Amino acid sequence: MYTGFARMAARACAILALSSVLALAVNALRPDGLPLVRLGPPSVIAAEAGSPYISLQDAALLHLSGRAVFLDARSVGEYVAGHVKGALSVPLEDYAQLAAGVKAAAGGKETIVTYCDGENCPLSEDLADQLRQDGQANVRVLKNGWSLWQNEKLPVAGGPNP
Amino acid sequence: MSRTAPPAQGPSSRRTLLVLRLALGGIFVFASLDKLLHPAAFAEIIVSYRVLPAVLVNAAAIVLPWLELVLGLLLLAGRLLDGALLLVNLLLLAFWGSLVFNYARGLDVHCGCFSTAAVAAGDMGWYVMRDGLFVALALACMVFFLHVARTGCRSGPQ
Repeated sequence: MYTGFARMAARACAILALSSVLALAVNALRPDGLPLVRLGPPSVIAAEAGSPYISLQDAALLHLSGRAVFLDARSVGEYVAGHVKGALSVPLEDYAQLAAGVKAAAGGKETIVTYCDGENCPLSEDLADQLRQDGQANVRVLKNGWSLWQNEKLPVAGGPNP
Repeated sequence: MSRTAPPAQGPSSRRTLLVLRLALGGIFVFASLDKLLHPAAFAEIIVSYRVLPAVLVNAAAIVLPWLELVLGLLLLAGRLLDGALLLVNLLLLAFWGSLVFNYARGLDVHCGCFSTAAVAAGDMGWYVMRDGLFVALALACMVFFLHVARTGCRSGPQ
């Protein structure tokens, strides 16, 4: 009976090791070498860096994954009648009192999304400007946010709570 | 006296082993070349097999072609035959297993056996049959190697 199985296995391991070293060395040297670990795209969020706006798709994705805090810039009455689920009510005139709470809510989030209602509603833009002045990075306006959000039947809530 | 008929004895056994390992070595060297040149395309093919987890795909695409080349050259040169034949058998079984697995679940993959060219996926039945032949070839090679090694030890110094 053949008795060299241990040697066979050892040599197989040696060949495997030699080939791996050779392969990795050549891969490191060649210009079209592959990264060792294949990574998918880090994110499908398409918002351009530096743009003050965010698309509904991006906003919905950030909402779903809990990576954004949503700020409702409309009046408290409109907020109570219905708002993006989880959004905080931050009417511009009350911003001074609410700033601390906003700052706390934005902690650990990637993005702050402000919205109001209507294509030309200035509240969300003004609120975003205010936030940027206060040093918040990555503040985005979801233009015509409330209408778009409802049209797509995205999660909403009513009442005074987020 | 063994109960099963042993492969042909002596020089004819060695000749058969030589022919088998040259054929197998040639196949392995040939198979490695296109993959060596196009690692990215080969990685895509590995992805399409949907067998390896994503983190292992690139490592496989980097190492497999070199392993095939080294194994092919060892078979052709007749060096480290025992280890090389073990790896060749394991590799071919793994390749064949992945093909059969995908055939069974109805996925048409691009074989990526000899070419990484981006052509439409071929006939899975043909791939499975061809690869099955390679598996049989490698197995036969191993059997003859073990036989020659055994009789070689018995009949005197190597």
